[in-house]
Amino acid sequence: MKCEQISELLPDYLQRRLSREQDRNVEAHLEQCAECSEEVIIWRKLSLLPVDQPSPESRARFEAMLQAYQAGRSNQPADDSHPRKQASAWNWNVLHWLRSPVGAMAWSAALLAIGVFAGLRLAAPKPPSPDLVAMQSELTSMKQLVVLSMLQQQSASARLEGVTWSTRDQQLDPQVLSALFHTLRYDASVDVRLAALDALSRHGRQPQVHKGIMDSLQQDQSPLVQVALIDLMLEWRDRDAAHRLQELEQTPNLNPTVRQRVEWAKSKLN
Amino acid sequence: MTLTPDEDLMLQVRDGAGETLGVLFDRYQTPLFNFYSKLTGDRALSEDLVQEVFLRILKYRQSYRPGTPFRAWIYQVARNARIDHFRKFPSQTALEPEMLPPVLPTDSAQERQEVELLQRALRQLPEEKREILLLCRFQELKYEEIAALLGCELNTVRTRIHRALQDLRKAFHQLTRGTMLKKAEAAAAENIPPQGGRHEV
Repeated sequence: MKCEQISELLPDYLQRRLSREQDRNVEAHLEQCAECSEEVIIWRKLSLLPVDQPSPESRARFEAMLQAYQAGRSNQPADDSHPRKQASAWNWNVLHWLRSPVGAMAWSAALLAIGVFAGLRLAAPKPPSPDLVAMQSELTSMKQLVVLSMLQQQSASARLEGVTWSTRDQQLDPQVLSALFHTLRYDASVDVRLAALDALSRHGRQPQVHKGIMDSLQQDQSPLVQVALIDLMLEWRDRDAAHRLQELEQTPNLNPTVRQRVEWAKSKLN
Repeated sequence: MTLTPDEDLMLQVRDGAGETLGVLFDRYQTPLFNFYSKLTGDRALSEDLVQEVFLRILKYRQSYRPGTPFRAWIYQVARNARIDHFRKFPSQTALEPEMLPPVLPTDSAQERQEVELLQRALRQLPEEKREILLLCRFQELKYEEIAALLGCELNTVRTRIHRALQDLRKAFHQLTRGTMLKKAEAAAAENIPPQGGRHEV
């Protein structure tokens, strides 16, 4: 056997996934070929690399995060306190939405647009024609319609899906942007608000998005969202960070975890 | 007593039992931390990313589907968390040697040296090659799972692993030869007395 043939078998040989006969063939080659056998030796030596241990504080950080998260969830309205039911209803909700007149229209139009777009693209691999540009813009607006429609669903999972959809576009339409801000501020589910924050933070370089996100710090009552906002503020090196943290610290009945995070953030700023 | 499978635990987390995530954290924090630390060489960042992975699991737990292998799923989350981080902070992508964990003492001086050279060789590999070796050698992902994770064919995974291993062998070989040469030079310098007078002119 040559090295080329062995190279196809070697990865499976290393994981002991070859038949006995193939195993014997590889081993016969390894006895003759110094380079291939060195590769096997290197693979085995990799097991000598030490296992790095995370610091003991890591577990405590995780506990704090989990507690903050659960505290946030317990603040949610009663209809969100049945995640089991909600999870099982997810598929039904999406299907239901797809079958609904708006969903069906959106999808039919989106599929048509995709079909025409693909057709134009295959037929004419030249500079984009005005038709193609128009079609692309139609496709974008269809995607936006899907996002906007999903953000208004009753089920938290469907809204979550809507937020995830919004992240597929590099540029956000002002209408979608405004819907995401509405979700960030008023959605009943902490999960959905956090996902909206994630989606919006991708566009944090736009001054109005940056300001909108930071302004929601005072309004949100969920410790988990507040902690995420504080982290984001540090990450972005927000100019008004010190002032905003000061204001937040003065909020009566501030959650202890959030207060701790504010103190930590202030120490990072100094 | 058998351990509850990760998949069952994750389904409990998905259905609202957030505290069960602690069991998964205990099972995965060290492997994930090693994945990140060996990939980035930065301990503090690796710890932050591990926390981010578990926060994302909580946030997106409803997207976990029954029957999905948990190990493959969590590494998908882990890869995305790292990609997002480096998209936000592109300047941090370089692997700084001084941030790397110290080499732990091993049985013999020779083994210790080999470990050190192997770590250095691994660091010299391009990131995607280092990543694939870490995934299959340390995280014990099956090739099929890696293919799904990287979005490529099974045969591509085999080829990539083999190429990464070839490069690692070459890098290790070069480093070993360099070290041996240095030792030989040092030994020679000890035996040959320096020639005096030249520098006095």
